[in-house]
Amino acid sequence: MNQLEDQLAVICFQPDEDWQHVMILDEVICQKCKTKQCLTFCPSSVFHESIEAKQPIMVLYKQCVECGGCRLICDNIDFSYPRGGYGVTFLEG
Amino acid sequence: MLKHWYQAKKIIASENKKNIEIDTSNVKKYDVIVVGAGPAGASAAYFMAKQGIDVLLLERGPFPGAKICGGTSLIAEHTHKLFPNFWDECHCERIVMQQAYWIMTEDSLLSTSFQSLKLAAAPYNRFTVKRRVLYQWLVDKAISAGATFQCNYKVTEVLFDGSQAIGVQIAPPQKKQFLADIIVLADGANSMVAEKSNLVPRVSPQNISLYVKETISLPASIIEERFQLACGYGSVIGLLGYPTAGFNGTSSIHTFQDSININVGMTISDFSTSGIRPYELLSRIKKHPFIQPFLAGGTVVEYGASVIPEGGYYAIPEIVHPGLMIIGDAASLVNGTHGINLAMWSGFFASQAAYESKKTRDFSAKKLFLYRTLLDESFVMQDLKANAKIAKLQRDLPYLFDLYSKIAAETAFQISKVYTMPKKAKRIFIFKKITSMQPLLKMASDIWKVIKVVRG
Ligand SMILES: Cc1cc2nc3c(=O)[nH]c(=O)nc-3n(C[C@H](O)[C@H](O)[C@H](O)COP(=O)(O)OP(=O)(O)OC[C@H]3O[C@@H](n4cnc5c(N)ncnc54)[C@H](O)[C@@H]3O)c2cc1C
Ligand code: SF4
Ligand code: SF4
Repeated sequence: MNQLEDQLAVICFQPDEDWQHVMILDEVICQKCKTKQCLTFCPSSVFHESIEAKQPIMVLYKQCVECGGCRLICDNIDFSYPRGGYGVTFLEG
Repeated sequence: MLKHWYQAKKIIASENKKNIEIDTSNVKKYDVIVVGAGPAGASAAYFMAKQGIDVLLLERGPFPGAKICGGTSLIAEHTHKLFPNFWDECHCERIVMQQAYWIMTEDSLLSTSFQSLKLAAAPYNRFTVKRRVLYQWLVDKAISAGATFQCNYKVTEVLFDGSQAIGVQIAPPQKKQFLADIIVLADGANSMVAEKSNLVPRVSPQNISLYVKETISLPASIIEERFQLACGYGSVIGLLGYPTAGFNGTSSIHTFQDSININVGMTISDFSTSGIRPYELLSRIKKHPFIQPFLAGGTVVEYGASVIPEGGYYAIPEIVHPGLMIIGDAASLVNGTHGINLAMWSGFFASQAAYESKKTRDFSAKKLFLYRTLLDESFVMQDLKANAKIAKLQRDLPYLFDLYSKIAAETAFQISKVYTMPKKAKRIFIFKKITSMQPLLKMASDIWKVIKVVRG
C-alpha cells in the first residue's frame, strides 16, 4: 500500500470537488458480492473496504487515473470521465 | 440560420425520448466535429482543414496528450508517408537503434537483440516519443491548417436526427451543443461516446488490456551506458514471460532522453479474475535481478495506467454510420500494441471520405463507406487481418507466453551450462528436461497452432 501511495504522490491531479465521476450504484449488491474484484483491479486503489463490517465501499475518486477499466469488470460501477479539464494529467508520456 | 432552426426542431421531435433539447441560439454549424485530440483525431482534423473543411476538434483534457500514458515508440515509415520528414518538426526523444526481446523467468533472461546503423539514419525505423509532445505537434498542425481546437470540452454523446448523426452534446460546465454534417469519434480505447450513443456494443474485458507504467528519471549518460547506446540513440525492449506472472500479456521498456518508461499489461479479465494488483505486477518486474540494475538510482517521476484494445481484427465494431465515422483506438484499430500509426492513417482516410461527402453534400453511411474501403485496402486492415487469429490463439493457449518463455530460458541455460557428460548425452538430457515441461505431442500441437496463425 505504501508503494502505491508513493506512486500516486507523483501524479498531477486536478480534482473536481463538485462532481464525482466514479460511483457505486447499489451498496446492497456489494454486500452480497463474493469476489469484490474492484478492490484489487483498480490500478490506483480507488475502491476501499471500510474497516467496520457492513459499511459501504469507499470510492476515492480523486485519485482515479481514468483507465476506464472498472466499468468493464462490474456493472455496479458507474464510471464516466471527469468533467472537462479535471482529473489526472499525464506529463511524461 | 433557418436551416439550423429547422434541423434543431427535427431533433427535438425525434430525440424526445432522450430529453435532449437543442438550444439553437448561437449554435454554429461545422462541416465536421472530431471528438478526441489523439493521433487519430488530430490527424483527421489536420487533413480535413488542409482540404478546406471547416472542422472543430474537441478534447476533454487540459492539453493534448494529458489523458493517456505508456510507451511509446513511433514507426517512422508509416508516419513519414503522412508527414514527410516529421522528425524535423516533432521532437522525438531518441532514435531507436536497438530492438530487443527479453524472454524471462524468475532467475534467467534470454535476450534476442538487433541493432544496426541502418536503423540510425534517415528515413529511420522507429523513434521514442512523449505523448504530450507528439499530440501537441499534431494539434498545432491542425490549427495552423485552419481547424478550431477546444480543450477542456468533454463530449457526452452524439446528437441524432433519426439515425443521422448531426452534432454532439458537451458535458457541464459548458453544457453546449455543436452541430455538424459529419461527426468523427476519435475518443480512444473503450469509447464511451460511441457506446452511450448506441453505435457500438460495450467492449469485452477479454478484448482490452490494462497497462500500468512508470517513468523513471535517470541522467542521459547513465541510460546510454547501461543500454550500451551511442548518444541520442535509444532502445525498445519487449519483456516476455515472467513479467505477466503466468498470464498472456506484455511488458516493455522505452528509453527516453533522460528517463525510462517501463510498463506491463494483460487483459482486464485476467487482472480482475486473478486478483493480481496491477501496480504490484509492475513492482515485481522492477525487482527482477536483471531489470533492477537498469533502473538503479532512478527516481519515479510518474505512475499511470491506460488501456489498449487488443481484440484484433474480429473485435472491430461497425465504424461507419450515417453522418459518422469511428477512427483510431475507438475503432479498435490496434495491431499488437501498436496503434499510433493506425490511428493517424485512419484519420487520414476519414478525411478523404469527409472531403468526398462534402463535395456531393451526401452524408449517408453509403457515401462515408469510402473510409472503410480505403482502410481495407491499406496496410492497416491488411496487417490486422494477418494477425487476426493471434488474439484468439492467446485465449486458446493461455499458458503460451509463460510456458514457452520458461522452456526457452531452460534450453538456453542447459546449452550454456558446461557439463562433464559427453555431447550426445547432454543433448538427450536437455531433450528430456524440456519435454518434462510440456509433453512432445502437446508441444507439437501448440507449435502447429502458432504456425497456422502466423501463416494466416
Ligand atoms: C501503455 C501503452 C503503450 C503503448 N505503446 C505504443 C507504442 O509504443 N506504439 C504505438 O504505436 N502505440 C502504442 N500504444 C497504443 C497507442 O497509444 C494508441 O493506439 C493511440 O494512442 C491511439 O490513438 P487515438 O487517437 O485513437 O486515441 P488516444 O490517443 O487515446 O486519444 C483519444 C483522445 O480523445 C480524448 N477523449 C476521450 N473521450 C473524450 C470525450 N468524451 N470528449 C472529448 N475528448 C475525449 C482523450 O482525452 C484523448 O486525448 C500504447 C498504448 C498504451 C496504453
Ligand atoms: S463494486 Fe462491484 S466488484 Fe466491487 S464490491 Fe461492489 S459489486 Fe463487487
Ligand atoms: S477508471 Fe481505472 S483508475 Fe479510475 S476507478 Fe476505475 S479502475 Fe480505478
